[in-house]
Amino acid sequence: MSADPLQALASAGKGENTRSLLRFIILALIAGAAIASRLFSVIRFESIIHEFDPWFNFRATKYLVANGFYNFWDWFDDRTWHPLGRVTGGTLYPGLMVTSGIIYHALRALAIPVDIRNICVLLAPAFSGLTAIAAYLLTNEMTPNSSAGLLAALFMGIAPGYISRSVAGSYDNEAIAIFLLVFTFYLWIKALKQGSMLWGALCALFYGYMVASWGGYAFITCLLPLHAFVLICMGRYSTRLYVSYTTWYALGTLASMQIPFVGFLPVKTSEHMPALGIFGFLQLLAFLDYIRSAIPGRQFQTFLWLFAGGTFGLGLLGLVLATSAGVIAPWGGRFYSLWDTSYAKIHIPIIASVSEHQPTAWPAFFFDLNMLIWLFPVGVYLCFQELADEHVFIVVYALFGSYFAGVMVRLMLTLTPVVCVAAAIAVSTLLDTYLSAKSPSPPPAHAADGGEGAGKKAAKAGLKSTTKPVVGIYGLWGKGMMVGAMAVYLLLFVLHCTWVTSNAYSSPSVVLASKMPDGSQHIIDDYREAYQWLRQNTREDAKIMSWWDYGYQIGGMADRPTLVDNNTWNNTHIATVGKAMSSSEEVSYPIMRQHEVDYVLVVFGGLLGYSGDDINKFLWMVRIAEGIWPDEVSERAFFTPRGEYRVDGEATDAMKNSLMYKMSYYNYNNLFPPGQAMDRMRNARLPEVGPTLSTIEEAFTSENWIIRIYKVKDLDNLGRDHMSAAAFDRGSKKKKAAKKRGPRQLRVD
Amino acid sequence: MRSFFSLLACLFVAAVSALSTSGNRLLVVLDDVAEKVNYSKFLADLESRGFQLSFETPKSESLALFRLGERAYDHIAFFPSKSKGLGPNLTPNILVDFLNANGNILVTLSSGVATPTSLVSLLNELDIQLPVDRTGLVVDHFSYDASSAAETHDVILLPPPGPVRPDVKDFFSAGAAASEILAFPRGVGAALGASELLTPVLRAPSTAYSYNPKEQAEVVDDLFAAGSQLSLVSTSQARNSARFTLVGSAEMLQDKWFDAEVTTADGQTAKTFNREFAKRVSGWTFNEIGVLRVNWIEHHLDEAGAANESSPSIYRIKNDVKYTISLSEYSWTHWTPFTTPAADTLQLEFSMLSPFHRLALNPDPAQSTGDAAAYTAAFKLPDQHGIFNFKVNYRRPLLSNVEEKTTVSVRHMAHDEWPRSFVISGAWPWIGGVGVTVAGWLGFVALWMYSAPVKGRAAAGKKTQ
Amino acid sequence: MRWLPAFLSAALLAAPSLAAKKSAEERFTAFHTKSLSSTPVKLRDNTYRELTGAPRDYTAAVLLTAMDARFGCQLCREFQPEWDLLSRSWTNGDKAGESRLVFGTLDFSDGRDVFMSLGLQTAPILLLFPPTVGPHAAASPEPIRYDFTNGPQTAEQIHSWVARHLADRPHPPIKRPFNWMRWISTFVVLSGGLTASFVAWPYVLPVIQSRSVWAAITLISILLFTSGHMFNHIRNVPYVAGDGRGGVSYFASGFQNQYGLETQIVAAIYGVLALSGISLAIKVPRMTDPRAQGIAIFAWGGILFLVYSFLLSVFRGKNAGYPFSLPPFM
Repeated sequence: MSADPLQALASAGKGENTRSLLRFIILALIAGAAIASRLFSVIRFESIIHEFDPWFNFRATKYLVANGFYNFWDWFDDRTWHPLGRVTGGTLYPGLMVTSGIIYHALRALAIPVDIRNICVLLAPAFSGLTAIAAYLLTNEMTPNSSAGLLAALFMGIAPGYISRSVAGSYDNEAIAIFLLVFTFYLWIKALKQGSMLWGALCALFYGYMVASWGGYAFITCLLPLHAFVLICMGRYSTRLYVSYTTWYALGTLASMQIPFVGFLPVKTSEHMPALGIFGFLQLLAFLDYIRSAIPGRQFQTFLWLFAGGTFGLGLLGLVLATSAGVIAPWGGRFYSLWDTSYAKIHIPIIASVSEHQPTAWPAFFFDLNMLIWLFPVGVYLCFQELADEHVFIVVYALFGSYFAGVMVRLMLTLTPVVCVAAAIAVSTLLDTYLSAKSPSPPPAHAADGGEGAGKKAAKAGLKSTTKPVVGIYGLWGKGMMVGAMAVYLLLFVLHCTWVTSNAYSSPSVVLASKMPDGSQHIIDDYREAYQWLRQNTREDAKIMSWWDYGYQIGGMADRPTLVDNNTWNNTHIATVGKAMSSSEEVSYPIMRQHEVDYVLVVFGGLLGYSGDDINKFLWMVRIAEGIWPDEVSERAFFTPRGEYRVDGEATDAMKNSLMYKMSYYNYNNLFPPGQAMDRMRNARLPEVGPTLSTIEEAFTSENWIIRIYKVKDLDNLGRDHMSAAAFDRGSKKKKAAKKRGPRQLRVD
Repeated sequence: MRSFFSLLACLFVAAVSALSTSGNRLLVVLDDVAEKVNYSKFLADLESRGFQLSFETPKSESLALFRLGERAYDHIAFFPSKSKGLGPNLTPNILVDFLNANGNILVTLSSGVATPTSLVSLLNELDIQLPVDRTGLVVDHFSYDASSAAETHDVILLPPPGPVRPDVKDFFSAGAAASEILAFPRGVGAALGASELLTPVLRAPSTAYSYNPKEQAEVVDDLFAAGSQLSLVSTSQARNSARFTLVGSAEMLQDKWFDAEVTTADGQTAKTFNREFAKRVSGWTFNEIGVLRVNWIEHHLDEAGAANESSPSIYRIKNDVKYTISLSEYSWTHWTPFTTPAADTLQLEFSMLSPFHRLALNPDPAQSTGDAAAYTAAFKLPDQHGIFNFKVNYRRPLLSNVEEKTTVSVRHMAHDEWPRSFVISGAWPWIGGVGVTVAGWLGFVALWMYSAPVKGRAAAGKKTQ
Repeated sequence: MRWLPAFLSAALLAAPSLAAKKSAEERFTAFHTKSLSSTPVKLRDNTYRELTGAPRDYTAAVLLTAMDARFGCQLCREFQPEWDLLSRSWTNGDKAGESRLVFGTLDFSDGRDVFMSLGLQTAPILLLFPPTVGPHAAASPEPIRYDFTNGPQTAEQIHSWVARHLADRPHPPIKRPFNWMRWISTFVVLSGGLTASFVAWPYVLPVIQSRSVWAAITLISILLFTSGHMFNHIRNVPYVAGDGRGGVSYFASGFQNQYGLETQIVAAIYGVLALSGISLAIKVPRMTDPRAQGIAIFAWGGILFLVYSFLLSVFRGKNAGYPFSLPPFM
């Protein structure tokens, strides 16, 4: 009796059309939710580009929209990496910019003029909606019941692990890349299941789009061959696999080679070799398969299989030799540091210095994927039940995704989709089990032994736990309890995601928000203040020297040439800046003259207690500079004999004389009563007398002293060195006695 | 940019009909305005050359070198003053600011009066040392004026000075008759430091030395300086081409030494060269000679069939480009084409971080005019993209500095600027390969589709089984 | 005879100075010949002073180390073979002594006084004494010090460092002896492994093909990775740390760091949660007996709830200001 309303509800959703309509509506709502939950920053602050890299993408997009595609393709940017310039068109992934460019022009064509900035700001949320739908499709390939798909879409839509890189304003490659990743995987599974060349070609097409968009395409390039390899090892070689893989590889590789930045890498570098190797191996297998069908004979076949194995081993050996011989480039630094985890720390400080290349601590995992993190293994286990090809894919993906995510924080992105899919499978299985209206009657005998038979069958291949047949849940209260609990968990999950998004991932690090004692929000806008100052008070081509973190922002917001920026392709140039910052004025002034530096910009958090300032990053500058000039810059010199990194009175001479220190603390103690100067970031009491500058002069200091800009002096007009010139200006009389300097050196003309 | 400014300057000059290239407001600082009768000829010469003289004493309150942040005068001439310092309006810092603001300064000393401290510290900044306690007397016991200084030997006679270096134009003694002699009465000698901005114009003869008549009357212990290290008239030109001249003896500018008669140690008499020398020294100091002007700079693609835009902001690697610069030199009344001395060349640098090319600029008569000489160089850009500078950095003693920097970007090859594949002979095998593959594939497909198995054969096959 | 002791003492005082008086040339030849027989030269206090005394027209690279087990200098023992290798290959490569470089090793047990005089607290320390006279004379006689801040160094690194400071002089390359032992052992192990696997194949095959085994492996590794094991591996964090009051703090404070034990606890929590999830999803619906099933549902559901609430409370400890929690661990 109590089941009646449920029955009624079910019958309402019986018709296939109503179901699909419902499904459609639900998907639309999910996409809407995914978009909506990413708009915190826009509502709180304004429609503004976030962080660092997005500023370059934004600038590039503006260039594309203004000058057309071909000029963008051949873009030589003479306002970054001064004086080297950057062949931007050939060193970026154009997918993002082209996408928003197309959208811009399409809207124009529809007579809907939208500012390009708003398109860039809102691109990521829009694509996150698509990602949710892609996750739905992918999951539907995994399990028959579509509730799993809807759940996956929901998880994908609001999982913080993905939101972290796709809130409104974070206009970064990942914004569209994750959608492409998931959709490519969907197409791959589709192609594999149907063995259809069409789906394979589509897969290749989207793979090409992915390559054009994000460097993370290497993940796909390695995962698909791995999947194929595992299938082969499981003895599941099939023509479906052959067709789909070869189609994907041939077309996809051609597509990827169209991107100038990628060019011939797919045939030259190690990270692409697995794909190539599996491609060749598949040809071999196809051939052997043909022969086997042609020629009977047991031992001949074993010989053939051995032959296949041998060839594979030989191929591997050849690959190793070719790499050692240098024919094939070894792993690229970022990629290599994924395997040899201590590699970057020793050899490439520039990579190790990037915060998002740090390993992931467990709280980060839980923070980004709350309950999914423990539903994830459940889903993977469920995939082992009937281990079809697509489930193998999920398993492989799960393994490698979690490994990479553990090594690099930013790769949490690539893990999130599989977590969502697996968790959705798990949750849907649970709900289906406990939400089914009809309870089984206590088991009659024939059902039991029927089950036995089924068990016999399953026992050969399946898991131990799935030998017995499914009977279902008897007690209503048990169902009720479980459903209730699941409801609570899901509710908690939604709350968690919203909380994380609004608190952690929605601040456009360009504008800092802080709470006043009375709880009201106080906006700290020093960055934009300083960049605006640069834009309005300096020459159009004034070269700004700063640490590379701020290069993109200066280029984007202040529109001034910079020496180095976040595209860290030239370690030496960055090391030069590091050397200029970490050396004394006498050393750094010639460097700045040579690079035609007009202004130097430093970020100083001492007054506000802002942790992301240059003094905290200083050691990286020293390390990177030491990598190139080990004799002139030494990290040890910046540590006190007791191995402390100090900025107060006990700071080492190297520290006190370094340009960075001087620029940070110049005139700082005038803010305080004598002897009271405090660095609130490092809780250090600064020495009584502040540093003096002679080769540069203070030009601008922002409201909260976060940004300080200095002007580099020209050579002295009267040919004096800057020290004595500065001394003369301060009014101190010059050395009176020429005698003291012993016999005067005679002048010869 | 600079050329533009100098153009403005000369327009302004034309307006006020002065003949100096940088204004004609000359401030003469005297201890007492009455003293100017001693220098009447010198000052008359200046006025005749179009300068507006205004006389001030260091003590006067009205004296101010800057008004509302702008220079109130274009040039200053200091005559010896007894005051210890020069008061609050002429502190060394103000004087340095005056130089930094392109003002020119002529300082004259005298052994009679101690040099004011502010001038001494200004000289210190310029790396010019004076004898200790700010006074000294240059004497020479071999070449002195027998008629006026028979005992004291402190009126030094020397021939008009030649050029400092062989590759430097001779400004001060050109056209001087061999008989004419320069008289340097009772002057103070200075010792120059190693600064490359300094140029000694008149060096003491090798037998001269400087001593302090008050303290070292009997015996001269620790000599301040002697011989050619002792500079009697020395000049300094700041990086912004502001000029500074130190004349060791104010007396040599006085009327009585202008075209006077002197008798050398060996008895024959000669006329002094002082008047002409004073004219030239003051003329040089006040930007009437030795001033260079950049009229225009132009660079363009030097390739056949190239769109010949003038001075584009961006080139491509390995372009052929041509760079031309037009220079004029001012002499007293008008601009003349500037020709480098025989032993010297004008050089062009094409540099990014360090020079990739350093070429000699050759005279280009085609583009030269009556008052400007054009120099040009044509070369092929390096195979390196980046932001480069055309640099002309011509600094010579006694000539105002020429430092011209023109920035251009050099871009990489665009994707459609490479030769097409069918042009490259090495690519033919591959192109052929593509063709063969396509043809073979089509052939195979055709064969496959139109070669149906023959029925009879199949039937036969059946029978055999 | 009263002056005799005085004289003796004077002589004793003079002795080291006399030693130092020997000309740089013959000192170099002496040490070089010694090093040809056995390099690096084992130094004592006096020989150290003799080697590094000015004037010297040669370069001296001296390693101050503490090999004795008492000092427990792990780094010294790790670095010693590399150092020997470097000096041996250098000296063999340059028998004539053109590079004018002498390698020496001073152990703490032989040279306490030197360590004292240099005021050294740590070991090993590598000092490079540049020549004070002769063609390669350096500006300052002060030794250049190599810092072992980032871990044990290989011979190649030291070689490049030395070569940097010995410009325009021959730099004999490092010749690592061919490691027969390793190759043989690896070969033996490989062949052994192959035969073993061949023999045990019929028994191994079902294990390899068993789905449960693979499932177990997969789940375990996933749990390891997602509980931050790689972080421990890379940052090699401590296993546990004591809190101030003598107890043991299992959870590191702060969002960005963790302890070894902590991650294992977290992995265990995840494991339990996953296990209960699995059994609720797979095992329970296959139970035929209603009562047992009811109990199982209750048990697993309860465990799931409790452990999850505990996990939340732990996370709140890591991230102050995390608002959500479940009973009973509020």
